[in-house]
Formats: sequence, structure tokens, C-alpha cells
Amino acid sequence: MLLNFDRLGWWKYALVAVTVLTAAFLLLPILFIAALSFGSSQWLIFPPPGWTLQWYSQLFADPQWLGSAWTSFRIASIVTVLSVLLGLVTSFGLVRGTFLFRDALKALFLTPMILPVVVLAVALYAFFLRMGLGGTMIGFVISHLVLALPFSILSISNALEGFDKSIEDAAVLCGASPLEAKIRVTLPAISHGLFSAAVFSFLTSWDEVVVAIFMASPTLQTLPVKVWSTLRQDLTPVIAAASSLLILLTITLMALVAIARKVLKS
Amino acid sequence: MSTYIDVARETATTSKAARPAGLGEIMPALIFVGIFFIVPVVALLLRSVLEPVVGFGNYAELLGSATYLKIFANTFIVSGLVTAISLLIGFPVAWTLAIMPTRLASVIFAVLLLSMWTNLLARTYAWMVLLQRTGLINKMLIGMGLIDRPLPLVNNLTGVTIGMTYIMLPFIILPLYGVIKKIDPAILQAAALCGANRWQCLTRVLLPLAARGMVAGALMVFVMSLGYYVTPSLLGGTANMMLAELIAQFVQSLVNWGMGGAAALVLLVVTLSLYAVQLRLFGVQNTGGR
Repeated sequence: MLLNFDRLGWWKYALVAVTVLTAAFLLLPILFIAALSFGSSQWLIFPPPGWTLQWYSQLFADPQWLGSAWTSFRIASIVTVLSVLLGLVTSFGLVRGTFLFRDALKALFLTPMILPVVVLAVALYAFFLRMGLGGTMIGFVISHLVLALPFSILSISNALEGFDKSIEDAAVLCGASPLEAKIRVTLPAISHGLFSAAVFSFLTSWDEVVVAIFMASPTLQTLPVKVWSTLRQDLTPVIAAASSLLILLTITLMALVAIARKVLKS
Repeated sequence: MSTYIDVARETATTSKAARPAGLGEIMPALIFVGIFFIVPVVALLLRSVLEPVVGFGNYAELLGSATYLKIFANTFIVSGLVTAISLLIGFPVAWTLAIMPTRLASVIFAVLLLSMWTNLLARTYAWMVLLQRTGLINKMLIGMGLIDRPLPLVNNLTGVTIGMTYIMLPFIILPLYGVIKKIDPAILQAAALCGANRWQCLTRVLLPLAARGMVAGALMVFVMSLGYYVTPSLLGGTANMMLAELIAQFVQSLVNWGMGGAAALVLLVVTLSLYAVQLRLFGVQNTGGR
């Protein structure tokens, strides 16, 4: 009775009310930022006295904001490529391997997901100071890759586990070389895993704040770091505009994943 | 025919020669993770016993000072509060989602995922603006006549709790949804047929059946909250600093690597041991923490 929606009686209304309110609570800040970014009030008064695009034009006129967005995009793109390639090779080893401690090694690869990010950030900061990699593009890419790789390994391994290896063997028996069979048979079959690995890697790097705060230098910073340092001075609506762009990219990528899942599954 | 045999022979020999198979494939990632994950973390922790002098002086200072103990206590209080509130709101939501008509549920799911994947800083910024003295929340409360003067909602415990709960809710709703979805409705029907009223069905059947999932989700949210940095430092005040901020402060403004390493080890030990408890009790689950 409690698990039958239609027979809940008045409890039904109470539960639906809590759920809808919670959804509204979760949605509120996201809609609020979008509204703020078009509001004409410098003091973030809501509802705003009028609507304007001036915060976006300020954002696009400022070489620092644009530069950090471009930096973020470049880092996230490089991280995505490396993460998918490395994740793919590693997943083959982890899923089909027969070596000792296979499960322990897989757990090791996933550890960066559960470690408090601040610990990793501080550790890498110290390490890169010594290596002279602090505030460099390579430093950013490496540190974001540490965080993105687990997502990549997880999605590709899952896809590979769901793929029947005998199909690949059949291609080899039909005359394909083992590499050819992997590229022309296995890769297309696990493409949904590769795709989500790419999207998760990109978003992990694009949205990363904590490690980036420690990695950034005055001349090289990502968009979230620029948002962070601006936030510490004031709450200007330009941040709302920048945040809206960050969110817009996330929504676009998530929609792509949803569409790709449908297309690749059918 | 001959190619068939050749291939079969070749496969047999390569798999024998390359034993243990797969080690070569994981080697690049293993080297990468070794150099850029294990070495830096171990080096940081080592500095806690090596700097400024060899020994456990940093730990003695960390655990012996009232200031630092207050930060530990505050970290646990905030995480506990956030976990309790998330569970209280998350359970009815997960329950409703599990039995709601699918079309409506999928809209709510989209909202959950959207909020989970929206940039953390963007969401935290929104709360900074919403909760400030002249912010929308205070204005609405005054408008409804509930309060006369704006409440201090940000730069204090209230601010961190609201902001963190907001972030953790999806992380508790999604696993709880999975648990409740798996419960057989026939069990509850049986309870009702045996004469249990609605309240008894809830407290004696549904809640105990969902208990494992609730403990697992609560542990996960608690562990993630312990290590959060961005949200507490933007929405919390100086009076209620959390452990992650302390670590950052030791390293960034005080340049005290020994104490930073010691605080990092404390956070790491608490996190990993709670995670081990969860693994032992419930098996592997996906988590993500910032």
C-alpha cells in the first residue's frame, strides 16, 4: 500500500508536495543565476528594475575573462583526449587481464574519486612547486587528468565488460588482425562508454575548482579560478554571466549524452 | 582451414607468452598514477613527521590545541547536520520518486542531475546572493511578515548548512531511490492485510527495509561533507572554519607544510576509515567528492 502511488490517500499529496518543493529548491539557484545575469541592477536586487545584456558585454570585453575561458577550454580538451586514450588502454588491461591484484589495482585507479580533493590539491601543489610545474599548462593538464581518469576508466570498463569478447575473436578468425578487430569491431560496440568517458572527463576538468585554485598563477588561470578570485572581491553580476555560460555548456553536454545514449543504443 | 589453425595456434601461443596478460596495458596509467598521485600524497604526509623537526610534534600541536580541536568539532557538527537534514528531506523524495508515475519522475530526475552537474562555484555564488542581508530569501521572509529585520543567513553555520545540504541532496536521493525501488510492494500489502495501519507499515516495514540504503547514503554524504572546501569557505564564517580550509590555510597563507600535512593525514584517515566501513557493510558504490 505504501508503495502504490494511487492508494496512498492523503499521504500522496504530502509526499508529492515535499518532492516538488525539493526539486524547486534544487532548481532555484540555477534559474536565479540566469535571471541575475540579465538583470540591470549592479546590487543584485531581485526582481531587477530592468533587463540588460551589459554583464555579458563586460564579460566578453575583458581579456582576462575571455583568456581564462579559453584556458579552461584548452585544458579540458587536452585532458579529454588523454583521459579517453589512457582510460581505453587501461580498461582493456583491467577487464581482460589475468594478473595478480587486478581488483586492488582497479580500486587504486578509482581512489582519486573518493580522496578529499583538498588533500590532492595541496599534495600536487607541493609536488609541482619542486618540479617547477606550478602555474603551467602541463601542471593543469596533469592535475585535472588525475581527477578525470577514474571517470574514464569506470565508463569504458563498464562498457567493455558488457561486450562479448567472442565477437572480437570471431573477427580475428575471419581474417582480421587482432588490432583491426579491436578497432573495427570492439571500439564501435563500446562507443557509448567512450562517449560518456569523454563528456565526464571534459566536465571534470571544466568545472574543477579546488585543484585549479592551487595550480593557478597570475598569468594562467581557468574560468572557475577567475570566478573564485572575483567572488572574493565582490558579487558583481559579471560572475552571474560567467556562471551562466559555465552552466550552459554543462546543459549542452548533458543533452548530448542523453541523445547519444538513445542513438547508440538503438 | 590452415588459416583457422594458424590463428588458433597464434592466439594460444601469444596468450601463453604474454602471461600475466593485461599488465602491459595498465602500465602507462599505473606509472602516471604512481608519479602524480601516490608520490605527491605520500610526500605530503611524510612532511608532517619530517618538518620542521623529525617527530610527531605537529600532531601533538594539532590535537592539543583548543583552536584546532574546535575546527575538528565544527567539521563534524556541520557534516552531521548536513547528513541528518539531507536524510530527512531525501527519504520522502526518494520514496515518492520510486512510486511516482514515470513521466513526472523523469522530470524530477532531470532536475536532480542538472543540479548535480552544475558548476559548484556557480551554485555557491547563487546562495551567497540569495542568502545575503538584502537577498531574496530575507526579502521574502520580511514580505510575508515572518520577521522584522533581515536574518544573518550567510557567513555562519546556517549558510554552510543550507549550501552543503543543497549540494548533498542528489547524492542521498539517488542511492535511496535505488534501494526503495527494489523493495517488493507485496511485502507492504501483506503487512496491510495482517492489519498494520499506514504508520505501522512505514515504521515497521518500509523504514527497516530501506535502513541499509539510508545508512550507506548517510555515510557517503557525511564523508563527502568532511572534505569540502569551496562551499564552507564561501558560505561559512571565520568562526566556523572546517578542516579542508584549515589545510589550505596552513599551506597557502602560513606556508607551514608540516602542520598542513598533519591536518591532511587526519582528514585522510577519517575519510578512508569511514569509507572502509561503508565498503565492508555495503560493497562498492560510486562516489564523488569536491
